[in-house]
Formats: sequence, structure tokens, C-alpha cells
Amino acid sequence: MISISIRRKHISVACLYLAYIVVACLFVLPMLYMFVSSVKTDAQIVEDMSTFRAFIPSGHISAENYSAIIGKVNFFKFFKNSVVVAILNVSLVTILNAMMGYALGLLSFKGKKFMISFIIALAIIPTESVIINRFMVALHLHMLNSYAGLALPTVGYPMFIFLYYNHFKGMPRELLEAAIVDGETYNGIFWKIMLPLSKPVISTVAIMGFIRSWGDLLWPTLVTRDETYRTLPLALRALSTDVYIFWGQIFAFASLMTLPVLIIFILFQKQFIQSLAMTGIKG
Amino acid sequence: MPSFLALRSIFTMNRRSISLRRSHHIRDGQTATAWLFCAPALLSVFLFYLIPFCLSIAYSFTNKMLVPRIGRSTEFVGVGNYLKIFSNDIAAKAFVNTGLYALMVVPAIMVIGTILAVFVNRQVKGVKTFRAIYFSPQVVTMTVVAVVWSFIFSPGESGLLNSFLGLIGIPPQSWLQNSNQALFCIAVMYIWQSLGLQMIIILGGLQYIPEELYEAGRLDGCSIVQKFLYITVPLLKNTLVYVLISTTINTLKLFTQVYVLTNGGPNHSTTSVVYLLYKAGFINSQLGYSSAIAVVFFLIVLIISLIQNYAMSEK
Repeated sequence: MISISIRRKHISVACLYLAYIVVACLFVLPMLYMFVSSVKTDAQIVEDMSTFRAFIPSGHISAENYSAIIGKVNFFKFFKNSVVVAILNVSLVTILNAMMGYALGLLSFKGKKFMISFIIALAIIPTESVIINRFMVALHLHMLNSYAGLALPTVGYPMFIFLYYNHFKGMPRELLEAAIVDGETYNGIFWKIMLPLSKPVISTVAIMGFIRSWGDLLWPTLVTRDETYRTLPLALRALSTDVYIFWGQIFAFASLMTLPVLIIFILFQKQFIQSLAMTGIKG
Repeated sequence: MPSFLALRSIFTMNRRSISLRRSHHIRDGQTATAWLFCAPALLSVFLFYLIPFCLSIAYSFTNKMLVPRIGRSTEFVGVGNYLKIFSNDIAAKAFVNTGLYALMVVPAIMVIGTILAVFVNRQVKGVKTFRAIYFSPQVVTMTVVAVVWSFIFSPGESGLLNSFLGLIGIPPQSWLQNSNQALFCIAVMYIWQSLGLQMIIILGGLQYIPEELYEAGRLDGCSIVQKFLYITVPLLKNTLVYVLISTTINTLKLFTQVYVLTNGGPNHSTTSVVYLLYKAGFINSQLGYSSAIAVVFFLIVLIISLIQNYAMSEK
């Protein structure tokens, strides 16, 4: 009797894992297809397309697509643009919104109540509905086709301010008062006490900000004029809508731009999942 | 987006901030520091949210062009641009397409996301790895997702998906090149990308349901389906409403796949609202018309946020 129930339990656990793996395949196979195709020749990709060999390296395997992407297509120019914009944007997003969140959440001053309502009201406005006239503002500020134009307009983000505001509002006020008694300034409290205590919310904003900056397509489409400041998503679009389409090179380009993010994700899985799940934001 | 949190706190905030102020004496330097700390973010929000938003409303009543026409000045046209949206076939198609896309994506994500969340809500070894795998498409940029899936949706007999469907006797489809299937393909890409994220959010809600309830249900002889319908779903209501609304709003923002793969075609079958306002304003230079589309889009999102606020506050 006992052995039968144990065996039955083993079988059901095995079925569960089998089901987990089948579902995992649905999520992994498209990515695997991308990575595997990036080392094949174009002819091989087309040939393998109708069989399971699409998901395994076959035929003549080489890094030719990658060398073409790095040499001819100048991948690292676009990579550099994306990295510069992301660093500039994410560092300002994390700090400036935190500063405002701290002021709204912990300090008392005239007009604060109004300002909080104002930020909350703005958080409801979708970026897409202001984007064309944001372009007009950027045009008049002479920000088109520059790193500033790519990175700065998305810095102040009502939702992030609100996120920080909620976080700082929840901090014990005694902490603030004790520090004031000790002779600390409100400015010093933020940098020396509050920021070190806010690592989780900072990493949340940084991760969401990074995903947003790295994947954004609409705003870079509007502000960039030519190749000089083109970011990775724009460059991939240009490559895949070119007159001559080189399948292997497109896959290599897509792989190269996905790999860094995927590696960061694998290293910081827990933070990534928690951060993105917290707000359900989309890039 | 947690706009429901936002709306709700408008109503609860007053009480809280009054009590805060009473407990604290205003000291020197506090006001100055506060304004200094608000200034940079506020400036950015003013320049790139508030001013563009006001411009959208103002321009929507004019025939302003992105590139000014020589000899023709910008004129007030009343509600002309709004009438154009409601009388124009392509604009009507854009709104219908965006709605259809939401109708394909949202129910799929709600149902499959909930099933997946229940499915991975077990304490077995390695389950966290599987959760991370299901979540991982979320970190792949939408442009990459679109390009890779466009190869999967290759038309013709030897296309990747067509070959596998051929094994079970389904004839080859032309997918993105077919005006009846293109929007569906675009929806599949989005579902694939964001299912894992919604699963994790629902899982977070599931883990708040106390185990004792299921124990009680088991003692009362409930089946798995009954437990799901009478315990899980009611207690998961707020999470599900949140997922419903945030997914709906996100799907209304459809742009990337359209811009990368179809440019609105074939035969306008994938033109979305955001693509329409991009094309009207940026390509056709009709800033006034584009602004009107932006305002209508904003109103739709606002109404959905208000519905969410209402649904979540109702206990």
C-alpha cells in the first residue's frame, strides 16, 4: 500500500516537471531560435526552417554574421549610443525623482499638498499622448539629434516620483527628527541617511528605468535624424527593413543586443522580477 | 501602472498630511531644501509632460502643421480635427484595430496568466527557476521580439510555424501578409513577451490567500475546480482587476510591432491609434490632427483608469 502511494507520488511529481519543461520550451524556443540562427549561414537558416534543426546549430557554423555586424553594420556605434543614453537617463531618473519623492514624502512646506495631487494627476497621462508635442518642445530647445534630446526628456517621470513619495512617506519621522537634533541638515539627511536606507526602491526604479530606456523605440524615432545618434532598437529596425535582408546578420544583431540584458537578468533575477512585478510597467 | 493607487490616494491624502503637519514644527531650511529638491524633476515634468499636454489640447483645435506651409498661417478650426477622427475610415480602423488587439491580448493574458500562476504556485524544488524562465521574455526588447517572431511567422510551406502546423494537417498561412491574420500575429508576440510578468503579479496575489481556506475547502469536499472558482478567484479579485486594467492600458499603446513589421498594413489592418498619431503628426506633418488623436487617446485611458479606481475601491 505504502509503496504504491509513494510510487504514485513520484509519477505525479515527474508529470509536474514534464509540464513545467513543456511550458518552458514555449518561452525559450523563440530565443533559442534567435541565438542558434545567428551562427548559421542564410541558406542554412532557410533550409532548417521547416524542421527541428531550426533550434540546433547545424551546417557550417561560424561567427561570420557577428563579424559582419560589428564591421559592416557598426554594431558598437549603436551599442555605445544606447549605453550612453541609458547611463545618463537611468542615473538622473533614479536620483532626481528620489529627491522630489523625499521632499514630498518627508519634508513639510507650503504647496506640498497641491504638488502631490499634481504629480498624481500627471501619472495618469500616457506618454504616447504627449509625445508629438514633446517633440515640439525638444525642437524649440534645440535638443534634436543629441544625447541630451534622447536621454533628458524622460527623466522626470510622475510614476517614479509617486513610487518614491510612497516609499519616503512610510519612513519613520523619528529618524528625521533625531538627525535634526544631532545637527544634520535636511539636505544631508537625504544623502547620508535616507538614500542608504532606500536601496530596494532605488534598484526598482533603476531596473524599470533601464528596461524603458533600452527598449524605447517611439521617442528615439522622433528625436534622431540620422545614424549618428541611432540607438539599438532603431538600428535593428533599419537593418530588418533594408532593401537586402540578411537573415543571419539580423539574428546576430538581435542576439548581441539581447545578451547583455539577459546576463544582467540572470545575475539579478530576484530584483528584476520583484521590481517589474511591483508596478507591471512596460518598456 | 498603478494609477488606481494614484487616484485613490487623492482622497486619503488630505487627512494624512494634516496630521503630519501637526506633529511637526516648521524649521528653517526645510522649505528651501524641499523646493530645491523638487526643482529638477519638476522642471523636467513641466517641460516634457505638462507643456506638451497643454499644447496637445490647444493644437487639437487648430490646423497647425509640423513644418509650416509658406503663406498659410495656423488657424483655429474648432472641432474640425475631432470630426475628422470620427468621419475618417483609416482613423476608425485604427481605433477598431487597437480595440480588437486588446480583445485578443487581455483575455488571453488573464486566463493563461492565472492558470500559469496557479501552476507554479507550489513548493517544489526548482520551481523558482521555472518562474524565472517564464518571466525571461520580459527582458527581451519588443523590437527584438517582433523581428524574431516575424521569422517564426514566415509565410509559405517551409515557414517555421507553418511547417509545425503542417504536421497536424493545417495548411500554410500567410500570417503577417494576410490582413485577417496580421493583428493576431502581433498579439501573439505581445502575449509571449508579457505573460510571465502578469503570471508573477498574479502569483503575488495568490500567495496572500491563506492555506487554511483551501484546507477547509478540502474538508468540505470541494473539487479542484470549485476551490479555484470559490476560493481563489474571489480572493484574487483586486489583483485580477489590476492586471486587467494595466494590461488593457498597455495594449492600447500598441506601436512597436506595427512600426517594426507592418507599417500599419496590409490594407490598414494593423494601424493602431499610436501609430496613427505618429504618422499623422510626424510623417504627414498634421500636428493639429495628431494632437486631437492624442487627446482622444488620453480620454480613453483616463476613463479606463477611473473604472479601475471604482472597481478597486468597491469592497
